[in-house]
Amino acid sequence: MPGIDECLLEAMRLPGARGAALVDWTSGLALGTVGEAPGGDHETTAAEAAELARLAAEHGAFSAGESEDGRPPVEDVIVSNHDSYHLLRFVDTSFDSSVFLHLWVGRAEGNLALARIRLGEMADRLVLG
Amino acid sequence: MTVVDIPPPLPVRDRSDQRDVAAGALSPMLRRLAEEEATGVLVREHGTLYLAQGRVVHAESPLAPGLGVLLTAHGTLAATAWRRATEHSTSPADAARLLLDAGLLPEGALELCHLDALYDAGYFALAPSSTPGRFRYDGAPRLGPLPSVPVVSLERETLRRRLLLHRLWPDPAADSAPLIRADPAGAAQVPPRRRAVLERVDGARTALRIAHDLGRQAFHTLVDVRRLTADGLLAPMPVPTAPDPPPAGFHPPAPLTVTDPDIALLKRLRNALEAL
Repeated sequence: MPGIDECLLEAMRLPGARGAALVDWTSGLALGTVGEAPGGDHETTAAEAAELARLAAEHGAFSAGESEDGRPPVEDVIVSNHDSYHLLRFVDTSFDSSVFLHLWVGRAEGNLALARIRLGEMADRLVLG
Repeated sequence: MTVVDIPPPLPVRDRSDQRDVAAGALSPMLRRLAEEEATGVLVREHGTLYLAQGRVVHAESPLAPGLGVLLTAHGTLAATAWRRATEHSTSPADAARLLLDAGLLPEGALELCHLDALYDAGYFALAPSSTPGRFRYDGAPRLGPLPSVPVVSLERETLRRRLLLHRLWPDPAADSAPLIRADPAGAAQVPPRRRAVLERVDGARTALRIAHDLGRQAFHTLVDVRRLTADGLLAPMPVPTAPDPPPAGFHPPAPLTVTDPDIALLKRLRNALEAL
């Protein structure tokens, strides 16, 4: 059963992975970080990614209808730029939380489809064991 | 519900040591303890920090629900399992270790709840206080399998959280008072997590009580309360001008200074952050 650090290190083994973090989108706090961050600052990156995640989670346009069962209304958020992808995967926990995994992947070496599937599996294993 | 019993305020501590304040230290004593890598328990007015070799391993506050509530409120862990674990240990951190050893919880889930509870209670423990903190050297807190947090990180995060609340809605009145719906018709566009808070507003519950009911971090609940207040959807119960004698069994909410931000400090922090 992996802990937070093991989960992030596993994410870093994905092709092209530059950095990963577990972030709380209500507070903007990074609960764990590994590797690089854009601009070199994990804290700032976490706060900015949290704001993006919150907008996606709280705006009805992006959610899959009413989810009153406590599951995150959005699965993931993908941002691409000319040299990298950012993948934010919401973690579905059995307790009350608002966290997501953030993976930063180089575009040339990375495989977005693979990263998306693997990050989803890691998010599940993190909290389900 | 946890009722906070705060003693009458004592004379305010001399805050002439501006050097520490300017450095972002919320508690000069805590900073010194971190530097000397102390192990023990720091009891402050609104909460308690457990230090092992200068790092924060656990935090508790009567203003935050705590690890047990977070773990048991939604059935992640059976309440009986938590009770049994706490009976066999000296602190919630030890209880968590027992649960981990027994394989009753996934490690990631426990680490996550532990850090959530630590930062949540730490936020209140480091709130401005009217009485000096007391530190007891004590070998009990230990660095264990659960993550610990450097003092500086907890202080920085606490300041960031104060600034966040202040930006959302500068008036802390709704943080501690019983809450009322300000616009019962206007809840249509409220996102689900915030709606859960709004639905529990009944003129009697405080933010802390709602946090307990939802098994949610107190700070997360305050964020929602401030956002809902800013949207005009809820308000603190107005204070009656001539208070009636309280009915038997009624405990008035204790006055808090918890989220009353030090504006000058926040401005300096903002300027420093923007200068990065």
